[in-house]
Amino acid sequence: MSVASPQRARPGRGRLHFNRTLPFWLLLPGLLIIAAIQLYPALFTVYLSFQRIEPGTGRYIFRGLENFQRLFSTRQFIESIGHTAIFLVGYCVLAMTFAVLIAMLLRQRVKVTAFAITVIFVPWVLSDVIVGVVWRLFVVPQYGLFSPFFANPSLFPPRGISVLTTPPPPTLIPGIYFPPAPALIFLIFASAWKVLPFITLLILAALQTVPNEVLESAAMDGATAGQSFRFITLPLILPVLTVALFNLILGGINGVGMVFSLTGGGPGTATEVLSYLLYSIGFARLDFGLAAALSVVMTVINLTLVLLTLRLSQPQEER
Amino acid sequence: MTFKKRSLIVASLTLTLSLLAACAAPAVPAAPAAPAAPAATEAPTAPAAQGGESVVTTWYYYDQNNTDPQANERVGNFYIAKTIPLFNEAHAGRFKWENVPRDYNLVLDLVTAVQSGGDVPDVMQFDITHLPTYLLNNTIQDVEWAREQPWFSDLDPQAVEACTVDGKLMCIPISESPWLVYYYTDFYKDGFPKTPEELLRVGGELSKDGNYALTYWGSTAFDGEAAGRYFYQVISSFGGRYDDGQGNLKLNTPENIKAIEFMREVVKNGLSSESVFAGNFEEEEAFKQGKAGAFPTGFFIAVRYLNPLKSPAGKDYANIEEAVNDNAVALAPFVATEGNKPGCSLDLFGFVVPRTAKNVEGAKAYINWIMDPQNTVDWIVSAGGGFPTSASLRADPAFRTELYKQAQAVGEASACRPWFGSLRRIPEAKKIITNTIYDLIKARPDADIAAELTKAEEEYNRGN
Repeated sequence: MSVASPQRARPGRGRLHFNRTLPFWLLLPGLLIIAAIQLYPALFTVYLSFQRIEPGTGRYIFRGLENFQRLFSTRQFIESIGHTAIFLVGYCVLAMTFAVLIAMLLRQRVKVTAFAITVIFVPWVLSDVIVGVVWRLFVVPQYGLFSPFFANPSLFPPRGISVLTTPPPPTLIPGIYFPPAPALIFLIFASAWKVLPFITLLILAALQTVPNEVLESAAMDGATAGQSFRFITLPLILPVLTVALFNLILGGINGVGMVFSLTGGGPGTATEVLSYLLYSIGFARLDFGLAAALSVVMTVINLTLVLLTLRLSQPQEER
Repeated sequence: MTFKKRSLIVASLTLTLSLLAACAAPAVPAAPAAPAAPAATEAPTAPAAQGGESVVTTWYYYDQNNTDPQANERVGNFYIAKTIPLFNEAHAGRFKWENVPRDYNLVLDLVTAVQSGGDVPDVMQFDITHLPTYLLNNTIQDVEWAREQPWFSDLDPQAVEACTVDGKLMCIPISESPWLVYYYTDFYKDGFPKTPEELLRVGGELSKDGNYALTYWGSTAFDGEAAGRYFYQVISSFGGRYDDGQGNLKLNTPENIKAIEFMREVVKNGLSSESVFAGNFEEEEAFKQGKAGAFPTGFFIAVRYLNPLKSPAGKDYANIEEAVNDNAVALAPFVATEGNKPGCSLDLFGFVVPRTAKNVEGAKAYINWIMDPQNTVDWIVSAGGGFPTSASLRADPAFRTELYKQAQAVGEASACRPWFGSLRRIPEAKKIITNTIYDLIKARPDADIAAELTKAEEEYNRGN
């Protein structure tokens, strides 16, 4: 017996149009808010990067690419690029390596309770400034908890170091700011410590999606732990690793709170990274045109790094 | 979408947005085109308080609502809380004072508020180092009306001169504070040394067993504050300065080079601890704990913030005044080379009126009220700091204590002036100067001083 299905009522043209445009209207309020609080300031920053204040009148006048020329000719900018590169590499490598290791350990039949997760998350929920102040107190020259350790000449020859005040050693290659000052290394550790819980949990979640059966059959086929990780686990968690790397890169380049509270850019300019230089030019020197130019440059750097990360993290066959 | 396509889209979008924005009409509210010293008053539409009184707004980094007796700015906090009712009572029916507590970024806040047409105070406390920044950004209006007030003729002419730009009075100088040396008499039994050589010799003997001859602000923290502190004290004591009198940075001089060589010796010989380079006021601790024998600093800074103290003999003092009265601490000028007076940086405090202040009449009433002798004394002791610029007020008992007497004698024995001289881009100048001197005395003590000073000059003067 065949039962004729009731004919579905066809929507009219107006209704169809409404259905098609509804998502747009629903998104519009949010888009407008984003435009007001994100797009406008971003565009205004680009506009400002071509302006300079006229001494005495306080008016902004169009000066073309002058701010960019000034920026590229300052020693501080070149130095801070070097410091940022060292910071970013150290920060990402340290955070990713430890996060993967800890996540792998946690996956080995360790039951992570809600309480443990809360405790693990503590560094992540603290503000950058608080973390910076606490880590600073560890190494303040006169009374820091770890200061005597670092000042020990047998551990740090020839005279020990003071993390916050020892200048960077002479550069190995002129113009390349390496090796970094102890303060920059300490800043990398503090920043990585703060972000570690988030990255760890992200990777742990990804690891838990890797099917045990696949790993077990690989082991039965004679694959070593390293081979399993390289050819099974890593490709499967790669999308999450990419997200984690995005997070680290963007946070690493743009974060200023930790530098501000831990080292204040010092000793000298040894920890003056791009974000701190931006703060310094904008809020201390009140040179908003130059600060805007630096913001534009930082945006380009951010975009480049993000696109590069995307490119490198794509599976080989999709390239 | 391929990487190439994506990159192209992003690049094109950035370029288009840049061009659009650069060609767009200025979005910043344009300031009036008049240069430097603008016309007196603009649209004084003062907000009305209840009962027909108009509100006079001030910005201080003091908070009348903070009653914490341990707060860093407790003295100023209590002063504002105490005086708001007094002002309101004296101006009942006409003006009502409202203070908006701010953080230490007052200069940034004021400049940006004026530029963006935001809320500004009607009157604000200033430090002389802020003046060039305000002038550069057209942030304040002249206060020429003050010249007609009965209290004006009593002000120190040099202080008035420092506030005068192109013949117009741009600030009201109420107090001044010299930079000098606080030292423990236990350490320096024969008084603080008079010459650099003597300081190196005596200091070398003192810097043993965890003690140090002196402590000072030597770090690059706070965007180069050291330029106006210890660095300038030493530079000026060697007869040097930072500018050429024409607004250019002039660092490469024989006097400055000798001063930097002296600072190098101090660091190299361990006369100061590592904490002098740590920033965040860590250098103060060595003096407060009786570990450093001397502290070159601002007179007012020590009065307000150097507490409590423990002398090298182990005696506790609640504040510096108590220690001076007990002769545990004394004041002295910094060392000087032969033929030079000891140098010192001079701080000057008072009031400015923002260009877009709504209640200029209220600002005048507030300033006139503060300039009443008793109110001036209160303001200087509690909010401003230092000595009055009014000659007659210097005889007030508040400024005749042992501490003030010693400070006055030191000020008179020193050659004091604002550290920036004719330089106008102060925030930029202080950062360049501090980074350069720090680099030469700490990071690269073997670097060629003259060459580095020349590089610093070029960096600043390119912007002139």
